[in-house]
Amino acid sequence: MQTTQRPAVSEAVAKSRKKRELIKNVVAYSFIAPNFVGFAVFTLVPMVMAVALAFLSWDGSTNNPITFVGIQNFIDLFQDAKFRQALINTVAYAVITVPLTMAASLGLAILLNQQIRARNFFRTMMFFPYVASMVAVTAVWNMLFNPAMGPVNMILSGLGVENLPRWSVDNNWFICMGTVILFSIWKFMGYYMIIYLAGLQGVNPDLYEAAALDGASPWQRFWYVTLPQLRPTTFFVTVMLTIQCFKVYDIFLMITNFGPGGKTRVLVGNIYEAAFTSRKFGYSSAIAMVLFVLVLIVTLVQFRGEKSMNE
Amino acid sequence: MKEKSGITGGRIAVYVILILLSVLTIIPFAWMLSASLKLNKDVFAWPMEWIPSNPQWANYINIWTKIPLLKYIGNTAILTVVVTLLQLLTSSFAAYAFAKLRFWGRNLLFLGYIATIAMPWQVYMVPQFMMMSGMGLNDKLIAMVCLQAFSAFGVFLMKQFYDGIPDELCEAARIDGLSEYGIWAKIMLPLSKPSLATLTIFTFVNTWNDFLGPLLYLHTDSKKTLQLGLRMFIGQYSAEYGLIMAASVVALIPVLIVFLALQKYFVQGIASSGLKG
Amino acid sequence: MKKLMKKAMALMLALLMVAGLAACGGPSGEESKAPEATKTTESKAPEGGNEPAGDEEVTLKWAVWDINLTTYYQPLIDAYVADHPNVKIEMVDLGSADYQNALITQLTGNADLDVVCVKDIPGYANLVKGGYLADLSGEGIDSAPYGGTIEQITVDGKFYALPFRSDHWVIYYNKDLFDKAGVDYPTNDMTVAQYDELARKLTSGTGADKVYGSHFHTWRSAPSLFAVLDGKNTVVDGNYDFMKSTYEWVLAEQNDGICQDYGTLKATNTHYSGVFFNNQVAMMNMGSWFIPTQIEKVKSGESQATNWGIVKYPHPEGVAAGTTLGTITSVAVNEATAKKDAAMDFVKFVGGEKGAEIIAKTGTFPAIKSGAVLDELAKMDGFPTDENSKEALSTTQVYLEMPMHDKAADIEGVLNEAHDGIMTGAMTIDEGIQKMNDEVGALLG
Repeated sequence: MQTTQRPAVSEAVAKSRKKRELIKNVVAYSFIAPNFVGFAVFTLVPMVMAVALAFLSWDGSTNNPITFVGIQNFIDLFQDAKFRQALINTVAYAVITVPLTMAASLGLAILLNQQIRARNFFRTMMFFPYVASMVAVTAVWNMLFNPAMGPVNMILSGLGVENLPRWSVDNNWFICMGTVILFSIWKFMGYYMIIYLAGLQGVNPDLYEAAALDGASPWQRFWYVTLPQLRPTTFFVTVMLTIQCFKVYDIFLMITNFGPGGKTRVLVGNIYEAAFTSRKFGYSSAIAMVLFVLVLIVTLVQFRGEKSMNE
Repeated sequence: MKEKSGITGGRIAVYVILILLSVLTIIPFAWMLSASLKLNKDVFAWPMEWIPSNPQWANYINIWTKIPLLKYIGNTAILTVVVTLLQLLTSSFAAYAFAKLRFWGRNLLFLGYIATIAMPWQVYMVPQFMMMSGMGLNDKLIAMVCLQAFSAFGVFLMKQFYDGIPDELCEAARIDGLSEYGIWAKIMLPLSKPSLATLTIFTFVNTWNDFLGPLLYLHTDSKKTLQLGLRMFIGQYSAEYGLIMAASVVALIPVLIVFLALQKYFVQGIASSGLKG
Repeated sequence: MKKLMKKAMALMLALLMVAGLAACGGPSGEESKAPEATKTTESKAPEGGNEPAGDEEVTLKWAVWDINLTTYYQPLIDAYVADHPNVKIEMVDLGSADYQNALITQLTGNADLDVVCVKDIPGYANLVKGGYLADLSGEGIDSAPYGGTIEQITVDGKFYALPFRSDHWVIYYNKDLFDKAGVDYPTNDMTVAQYDELARKLTSGTGADKVYGSHFHTWRSAPSLFAVLDGKNTVVDGNYDFMKSTYEWVLAEQNDGICQDYGTLKATNTHYSGVFFNNQVAMMNMGSWFIPTQIEKVKSGESQATNWGIVKYPHPEGVAAGTTLGTITSVAVNEATAKKDAAMDFVKFVGGEKGAEIIAKTGTFPAIKSGAVLDELAKMDGFPTDENSKEALSTTQVYLEMPMHDKAADIEGVLNEAHDGIMTGAMTIDEGIQKMNDEVGALLG
């Protein structure tokens, strides 16, 4: 901008710029609208209702009154041993599952990004658990890890292992939780492998050639070229995986059924139970809000991280 | 160009690791297939027979009469196709705006989407269910479409891909006189084929395999989806290991076919220069 | 800041109200857009209201579970429709595993169900609390033939469901496995200790040939409720010390391999019927609802346990034979249905004498039990022919698995979890009982 411009001209420029700005906004919103309207009606509105519910007491019946109870639901929450247990389990599950799955999927992606025979075949194999139906594969998993007759324990007993693990019903928390974690890694690593593969496609091959010319070892190439280049992908994978772990429900339902004795309860299981067994919808929403805040914190931390990474 | 050196030690190690991992990954499916051809009493026989000496093909016939499997598959197929198409269209559209346009409230709206990914569906399923019922959508497949077609995931994924496409490309097109819609249709869509393929697979799989949504919404037998039917089958015939595994195999086959068909295109798409800019 | 909060809260509440209204099908502008389902209901309401036996078409939706495994739904419908040709009855199968949850969720969403089955007492208590069920006490139903079951579900002088089935627990046994082991069949007067002893005698084999003497399904009621048969305690009292000895002998059986391991059964989601069908267990304690299933599956060839019988439930020392556990299953009318009169008429039929006869013909125990009904049951084609089996159908004292209690569902949740902990060994018996005492104590205040 030149400071010598006459006022009238700059006013006209400002006006037309304003108009252009408006058109720009309208166009942008026309892009967003088809998705956003559906999203708003079927997700946002019920979600706002869920938030409101956390401050209410209601048994879910339209015949009974809804009363405003302020933060009473949240006060109750922190006196609830089941909630604490579920919170600890959910966080522990995420803390263990996220890095392991990420390492597995990144490793697979790097192996399968090389010029090798039958590459597509291997990729398909690795991806297959992800496409497989949860209902079907948990049924198989439960058979494989059947404590009495399952082949896994048959092999272990053949290897001379005494005190065979009882997997999904073992009274050792690490084993029943481990059964679920093992399943989760197996089920999800293919998914994140594909994301990493897509990310690897974006890595500039010139960088590898430059690194090779500098005499970098494969490990150095991975550490100094691949990983930094994959940062946006890693960000994406971390967020998605963490969220996936926090909102886990069906895996636990179908493998441990939150047992034994409630040892593997997770937050969403409590939400479900509070709503549909105890008919305490307000309380159930309060648990949900805690979960939501947890996930939001993780997301915001990552968001920030990415921003500073890009600057 | 990658070096095309012959067989080295490293290369062999890669193959060995890959084969080992593949075998581990695929064992549960091999077991499923093998068990689906056995009598219940032989399923857990040890040492196990990977290839049953007396294959029970009848298992694959019986499951069709025990539950209306064909109906379930049909429902699921319709649902999946509709949801996937809607998801692709609306997500790529919205993602373009988020990635390449500057407008009022952009970050706020996008944060809204991210928050949705975070919010487990169980949080709002009850108010959502009540609302849908009020709209007369209860026990209708269309309810599942509304539930799944506008997920934030699609927008997020597409935006991530679009972010990788340099802004200069769009700027150049604008200078050439293309409208934003034109840029989306003529530049972004062709460039984002790999990500579209990716989203197709993810959406297809998620919808095909969704269990909790149908559990809440669909209860008339003629409207049930495959997963719901399979779960009910497992509950009712839990000792029928052979039959359960046969039904599971049947539930996997359609998704495998679609995946294999798309996968070729999908890998091609990733390998093409689309994402390298 | 405070003002903003208040404003936001008001907005959310308003949204909630809107949703509530929409769900109620209130006369809002949006109604006109609602698809046929709602429209037909509303247009029919005024006419169908007064004359249930009128000529115009009525379709009733009936919420049930396990259509495939249940033998009496269709005969009931056929008989009713034969007398009421203008009525169509559609069953909605909500599955057995999560039936009560699914049902109450459907009713919360005002699904257009007209008649519903009520599976258990906790579910009934929740439905009544939520005001989902229509009051039946003013419908001129005589409670006398129901053997006291209506009284047990009456709340504040009103009852909201009509029992149509009333089952009690018996012992099913596999005669072939007894013969093979050379052990005499069980009798109708057996103490719990004798049952345990017998189970131990019948256990044999390993691997695929293993025969278990007894079988406890994963439900809490299957093993633990032997403890209430002496009539001294109930499971809603808040103190569970009395359950210790029962858990001790059950766990001992499990540790000794007399019954299948709870954890394994749970891990594989094993249904009790399959275990019995496949000749894996010699004796199994289960409700009388399993009789028609077993008869039918023997006929279809699915059950290989073709030579079987039943005897009365084992009882604690000093308690009369024929003391057992019971459950009732009832039908009710959705309070929100627009076809209340038609629904009421069908409910009275299912729960009434005619319904009882039809139910008895399928081998199932109706709530109205006359001597004729019991004879009918024993005469059924496929019912064991020995005298003991017939005699096992009668009872002297029946305790409900879960008595009616305002907090029945919550109490049951606690007990189930503690049961799971005890049976898997995640908790010792004492820890489990402590958990029950503490948590139920907290619930009861």
